[in-house]
Amino acid sequence: MANHSQLGFQDASSPIMEELVEFHDHALMVALAICSLVLYLLTLMLTEKLSSSTVDAQEIELVWTILPAIVLIMLALPSLQILYMMDEINEPSLTMKAIGHQWYWSYEYTDFKDLTFDSYMTPTADLPLGHLRLLEVDHRVVVPMESPVRVIVTADDVLHSWAVPSLGVKTDAIPGRLNQTSFTASRPGIFYGQCSEICGANHSFMPIVVESVPLANFESWSSLLSS
Amino acid sequence: MAGEGDSEPGKSFKLLGFLDVKNVPCARESVLYGSLGSLVMGLGHFLATSRVRRSCDVAVGGFICTMLGYWFYCRYNLAQQRIRQRMLKEGMKNRILFEGSYLDPEKEQTGSERSDS
Repeated sequence: MANHSQLGFQDASSPIMEELVEFHDHALMVALAICSLVLYLLTLMLTEKLSSSTVDAQEIELVWTILPAIVLIMLALPSLQILYMMDEINEPSLTMKAIGHQWYWSYEYTDFKDLTFDSYMTPTADLPLGHLRLLEVDHRVVVPMESPVRVIVTADDVLHSWAVPSLGVKTDAIPGRLNQTSFTASRPGIFYGQCSEICGANHSFMPIVVESVPLANFESWSSLLSS
Repeated sequence: MAGEGDSEPGKSFKLLGFLDVKNVPCARESVLYGSLGSLVMGLGHFLATSRVRRSCDVAVGGFICTMLGYWFYCRYNLAQQRIRQRMLKEGMKNRILFEGSYLDPEKEQTGSERSDS
């Protein structure tokens, strides 16, 4: 989850999110280089006398055409690599459905018989000591770790969005439409997210909690809930 | 990259307000080598030509080129290291899983050696 006053990303829990964080660092380094250059040029211009004696400027025009092109290539290549990586067909081991309602999520594991449940936010008054306010739910989404999981996201009433920043997932839930996303939780843990599309009065109070567990634990959980 | 540094003073240092040089791998070294390169190139140019303005331009250009150059070099090595770590982790997991079974690659090798002899 995010700490208070956190500006940066949360720790990555999926390979795609790791790549995204690395690309973000790369983009910031390029931005630092550009900002340094712009600051220097600004300082130069502020200390120079104004002159209108320029007739032609072939060299500078060449520089400020080629340099931005190089910068754009430096940003575009890793960006496109990640974009295509996100769309790879990876044969998911598990498919689950996340359905947005006002104001809770319901989940269906259609690979198993009768495994459906609703996930409501735990009210602050009922929160055990040490648990996270406005983030905990009564029933978490349990997934096996290191296994590709396909999530089909839709909504029952208005627009919602199923988002888990740590896994690098954010997918709109649109009534009458099925949107698909997938992720692989690379480590065991509990990953928090919140509804990311304004959906009414309690939009801020329908969190998402994904719990990644070893396969054996997942199997025992699913058999417990199926029965 | 982790958000924990933002809430603890002294644990992150954001250059120009956005680049966290303490927590981003390779960032600190890139900026330091960039600064060193800038100093060397700027000073060297000035000593050679005695032109202040042009030496400043060379210094700034040297900073950017050295910083980005080291950044790409360091990130490339980091990516290779991460790939090697993943391969090692996968190899260790497979070894534990398949040891002694018909899928054990070491067993296949000894089996082929016996058939050759």
